[in-house]
Amino acid sequence: MGKSDKIVRQKRSIGARIAEWWNRQKSRSYEAEPQRRVALVGSPNVGKSLIFNRLTGVYVTVSNYPGTTVEVFRGRTYIEGVLYEIIDTPGMYSLFPSSEEERVARRLLMEERPDIVVHVVDAKNLERMLPLTLQLIEADLPVVVALNMMDEAAKFGIKIDTELLADILCVPIVSVVATTGKGIEELRRVIHATASDSSLDQIRPEFGRDSQPDSKAAAR
Amino acid sequence: MEETVNQIVRLLQGDYGLSKRAVALLLLQGDEEIFALVEEKDGKETAELIKQILREVKGGGERSPLYRITMVRQRFSEYIAGKVIEEVETKPITISDRLNDLLIHPLWGTLFLLVLLYFGFYQFVGVFAAGTLVELLEDKIFGNYILPPIERFFNWLIPWALLRGLFVGEYGIFTLGIRYAIALLLPIVTAFFLVFSLVEDSGYFPRLALLVDRLFKKIGLSGRAVIPMVLGFGCDTMATLVTRILETRRERIIATLLLALAIPCSAQLGVMMATVSKVKGGILVWALFVFSVFLLIGYLTSRLLPGEKPRFFIEVVPLRVPKLDNVLVKTWTRLQWYLLEVTPLFILASVLIWLGQITHIFDLIIAALSYPVQWVGLPKEVATVILFGFFRRDYGAAGLLDMVEKGAIGGIDLVTTAIILTLFVPCIAQFLMMVREHGWLIAAKIAGFIFPFAFLCGYIARQLLLLLSQFGLFG
Repeated sequence: MGKSDKIVRQKRSIGARIAEWWNRQKSRSYEAEPQRRVALVGSPNVGKSLIFNRLTGVYVTVSNYPGTTVEVFRGRTYIEGVLYEIIDTPGMYSLFPSSEEERVARRLLMEERPDIVVHVVDAKNLERMLPLTLQLIEADLPVVVALNMMDEAAKFGIKIDTELLADILCVPIVSVVATTGKGIEELRRVIHATASDSSLDQIRPEFGRDSQPDSKAAAR
Repeated sequence: MEETVNQIVRLLQGDYGLSKRAVALLLLQGDEEIFALVEEKDGKETAELIKQILREVKGGGERSPLYRITMVRQRFSEYIAGKVIEEVETKPITISDRLNDLLIHPLWGTLFLLVLLYFGFYQFVGVFAAGTLVELLEDKIFGNYILPPIERFFNWLIPWALLRGLFVGEYGIFTLGIRYAIALLLPIVTAFFLVFSLVEDSGYFPRLALLVDRLFKKIGLSGRAVIPMVLGFGCDTMATLVTRILETRRERIIATLLLALAIPCSAQLGVMMATVSKVKGGILVWALFVFSVFLLIGYLTSRLLPGEKPRFFIEVVPLRVPKLDNVLVKTWTRLQWYLLEVTPLFILASVLIWLGQITHIFDLIIAALSYPVQWVGLPKEVATVILFGFFRRDYGAAGLLDMVEKGAIGGIDLVTTAIILTLFVPCIAQFLMMVREHGWLIAAKIAGFIFPFAFLCGYIARQLLLLLSQFGLFG
C-alpha cells in the first residue's frame, strides 16, 4: 500500500496535477476565500453527491451506483452572506477504514477540520448508518445529520421520530429528499445556525460520558 | 476496556483533528495509519508505551477489541433505532422485488443481459447510430456541405501546399481531426452515453455485479471489482481511479491491468462495434475473443500475484424508473467532457503527424510499425491506424472505420485489426492515471506487456479466423 497511501498530499505526479487542474476547471475557482467549510460524509450511495449538487449547483456525476465518488469534490455557496466551501467525500462505513476511499475520507476530516460535518444517512437503513454517526460524535466532530430518502423510507412504511433522535444524539437532525430538493433549505439553515453558534463548542456533550452507560446497558 | 481507553487518552498530547477518545479507540482496533500518526505527533516513546498497552489487551484472551467495540456500537445503534423508528406496515412484496430476483437469476439474468446488449447497444449504438447517423453526418453533411467550403477557403488563404496540409491535408486538422471527432465519433458516443446513463439510473448495474460475481471470483477478483470494470465501459481513466475502492493492492493491480487491456471504453466500444459489424459475425468473434483474453489474463495474474483471497461485498441500490432529466443531464455532461477531452487531442495528433511528415519521422515510425503489422499478416496501411491507436483507441478505431468506408480493408483483416486496437492501452490519459495510482514502474510494466501482447493476440486471432474460414465458418 505504501506508495498509493500518500497520493493525496505528498505525491504530485503529472497525472495528479492534470486531475487536479481538471477538478478545478469543473468546480470553477472563485476569487474569495471561503469562510467556513462543510464536509459531507456517509456510506456509499446515500446521496452525498446529490446533496452536494443541490447545495452548490456544481454538477458531480451522480449514479444509482455505490462507490462512484472516489475523488474529493469541492464547491461553494453563500448562506446568509457567508461563503461556505462544501466538500463531497468518498463513501465511508466507519472511521476505521477498510479501503482506500474510506481512508481518503477520514484523512480529509482529520486534516481539513471542517466547521460542520454533515452525516448523510439513508433513512431506510437508519440502524446500519448509526454506528458512523456515533463515531463522528465520539470524535468530537461538529455533526449535523441529514436523514435522506425520507420519501423512499415512507414508501417502505418506515417512520422516524426525528425529534427523539435529535434528543438522544444531541445533534441537529434534518429530513431531506435530495432527489426533489425537499428539505435542502432547512439543511442550509441548520448548517449556518450550527456553525454560527460558537457556544456549542463548549457545551457539546462528550459522547463517551453522556451515553456510555446507555451503550453498556444495551450491550448487556 | 474503558480503563484501557482512558489510559491511552492520558498518554496522547498531540492534536489529531479527532477527539483523543476516538484516536484511542482506533488504536485499540489496530489502526496502523493512526499509530504512525501517534509516532509522528507524540513521539516514539509514547507510541512504545501505547504499543505495550495494546499488547496487554490482545493478550487478555477475550475477543478482539475491534469486535467488542463494533458490537457495542451495533447494539447501541439497534437500541436507538428501535426507539425512533416506527414501522407503520409490513412491506409487501413489490414488483421491484420480483424484478430484482429475476435480474440476478443465473439464467434469466443472463438472458436479460443479452437482450439489453443486443437491442440497447448493438441495434441502437452499432446499427442505428454508427450506421445511419454516421452516414448522414459524414457523407451527406460533412462531405457535401462542410468540408468543401473549408477546403476552398484554405486553398485561397494559404498558397503553400505544405502548410495547407496542416489544415486540410490527408491528416489535416479539419479533414481528419475535426471530422473524426464530430462526424464519426459524436453520433456513436451520444447514443452510447444515452443508453448507458439510462441503464445506470435504473439501478441495474449492482444486479449485474451480483450476476457476474461468481465468474470474477474464479479469476481472483471480488464482485466489488465489477464496479470499476463496468465504469470502464464508460471511461477507463475514471475507472482506473475508481479501483481505489478495491480493498487489496493485488486486486487494484489486476483490475488496472484488465482495464487497460481488455475493457474498451464507451467511445471505442461504439466505434469498434460499428466497425466489426461491417463483417458478418464479426461482432460475435470480436466480443468472444476479447472476453476470453480478459478471463485468461485475469486468471493468470490472480495466480501470479500473491495476496489474500478477496471477499464479496456490494451495496444493492433500489431499482427505479430512470428519471428523464437525470439521464439527459448525465448524458450531456459526459458528452461535454468527452468532446472537451478528445477534440484537442485529435487536433494535437494532426499537428504532430504534420510535423512528423515534414521531418520524415512519421514515415520512419510507420515503417517501424509495419513490421509487427506485416508479421501478423495485415496489409501495410494498417500501421497508420495503429499509430492513431497510440493516441487513443477510439482515434484508431475511427481511422479503421474510415478505411472500411473507403473499401480499403474488410473481412478477417478488419476483425484482426479491431482486436489489436481493442487490446491497446486506451489513451494517454489512462496511462497517466496508471502512473499516478501505481507509479511509473508498474505503469511501464503494464504498458510494456500490453503492446507486444496485443500483436501476439492479433496473430493468434488471425490464424484462428483463417482456419475457420477454411471450413467456411467465417468470412
